[in-house]
Amino acid sequence: MDTQLKSSKPIPLTALVFIGWLFLMTFIPFLIILGMSFLERTPLGTISFHFSFNNYLRSFQYIYIKVLLKTVWLALVATLSCLAIGFPVAYYLARSGGWLKQLGLVLLFIPFWTNFILRVYGLVSLLGNHGLINQLLLEWELIKTPLEILYTRTGVYLGLLYNYLPFLVVPIFSSLEKLDPSLREAGFDLGANRIQVFWKVVVPNIKEGVFVGSLFVFIPMLGEYVIPDLLGGAKEAFLGNVMVSQFFVMQDWPFGSAIAGMLSLLLLITLWIQTRWSRIGGFRNGIDNAKS
Amino acid sequence: MELIMRKANPFVATIFFIAIFLLYTPLFYLILQTFLNNPYDLKSGFTFRWLLKLFHSPSLLEPLMNSLEIGVLSASLAVTVGTFGALGLFEFSALLPTMIQSLIMLPILLPEVITGLSLLLFFLLLHIELGFATVVVAHASFSASFVYFIMLEQLKKLDPQMAEVAQDLGAKPHQIFWKVTLPNILPGMMGGWLLAFTLSFDDFLISFFTSGAGLTTLPLKIYSLMRIGVTPELNGLSFLMICISTFLVLLLVSKEQSRKWVLRG
Repeated sequence: MDTQLKSSKPIPLTALVFIGWLFLMTFIPFLIILGMSFLERTPLGTISFHFSFNNYLRSFQYIYIKVLLKTVWLALVATLSCLAIGFPVAYYLARSGGWLKQLGLVLLFIPFWTNFILRVYGLVSLLGNHGLINQLLLEWELIKTPLEILYTRTGVYLGLLYNYLPFLVVPIFSSLEKLDPSLREAGFDLGANRIQVFWKVVVPNIKEGVFVGSLFVFIPMLGEYVIPDLLGGAKEAFLGNVMVSQFFVMQDWPFGSAIAGMLSLLLLITLWIQTRWSRIGGFRNGIDNAKS
Repeated sequence: MELIMRKANPFVATIFFIAIFLLYTPLFYLILQTFLNNPYDLKSGFTFRWLLKLFHSPSLLEPLMNSLEIGVLSASLAVTVGTFGALGLFEFSALLPTMIQSLIMLPILLPEVITGLSLLLFFLLLHIELGFATVVVAHASFSASFVYFIMLEQLKKLDPQMAEVAQDLGAKPHQIFWKVTLPNILPGMMGGWLLAFTLSFDDFLISFFTSGAGLTTLPLKIYSLMRIGVTPELNGLSFLMICISTFLVLLLVSKEQSRKWVLRG
């Protein structure tokens, strides 16, 4: 009777609209790409409806495994770097008060709301052979020839770091905000010094949020396409780039789909590790913090 | 309160200001380049030439209009679907089966490159011609889940007693919805709409796969200009877009209701 009171009648139907929408527009297309990965491409370039694991066996070749490992490694290093820089930034914001906090947040978010492609373009023109960095370094005669940053692995790394940093500051900031300040005070009252309070009071309380926040940076980095494409060039392809070139250059849709399957598996493993490490409750909270 | 707000560690403060400085460097450099005679030479002198040229290039107006129209339509679609979902699932949201929860998270977790390619395959298999409509639908397909989470939070804040009071006063279910529930969740819907619009306006990859050959959005245009090589026209455009997003952030932050969503991204 109670629930009857709260809800007006058409509600279950409205839920079906949403679930049906997700099913049709996300789940079915995802199933199509997974299904495609078990088909084969004929020498003529058409697709034969012949079930096989060949595409997956092919993806275990050395060159693809190398791309896979490079993708995971760069995403991991960039996530840890974001954490190393993002933590002090969030900490500073959370500890400052009033207008300074508001101003800091706004300052952090203007680049974040600027178009993604534009931010990448800014980096491309900054890091290029004729970009600001090389112009200044040549001008001051610190170097003789321009530094090669653009179209190298360093370029991709800097691109990941630059574009994902604000994404990680937010969840850390909101975990710090939720931390009851009296906990810290209690720590000080009990005779702990600042370092002890930080490691024994602050860190254990925000660990969960920081971890889930890092995950929400790590996962899209694994699937990154634009940054390696524009800042790394052909040599520094990620899994996403190999996948797209299988679709549009090689015209091998089944194999491209198998790479998508591999990438999805990688995400699933990441999420599995995450749930193993933390309680379900913490996971849900973290999701709400990181993306709402 | 003063006790809690102790002086920030100078080391932490330094990192903060360096990080903010570095975040802005590429953007300020783009702005600076707009006003240089030779964008790749700092000492080449000041000019308004490139900015003026921007206003005489009709090739940018069409992508801009496309982006705005796609943003408005896909955000409206996403808000409709996402709000329906939140209204319907709100009461069960704590005990939804894992299957349904994963389905809702799927568009958020799936890398854009997979979302884009799988939607492309989907449209091709159904023989749907790629273009304006497919981009609108594709954008709404991933932003609906974001709207859902925003609306869920908005509904949690709603006092259930209000609906009960309305019922006691003799309101019918549809009256309760239109006169009590809807006005109370409207701010959340506006926040969700703005987020969905921004996601759409910003999106490159999903448009890249689902737009087909004929349609160009602003991010697609920037990408193709970058591919051709750097044109001063592109710098003028960057300058304009940075101004617009700065203005938008300041506008949204000045309003109490939308501040929270802007600062959450």
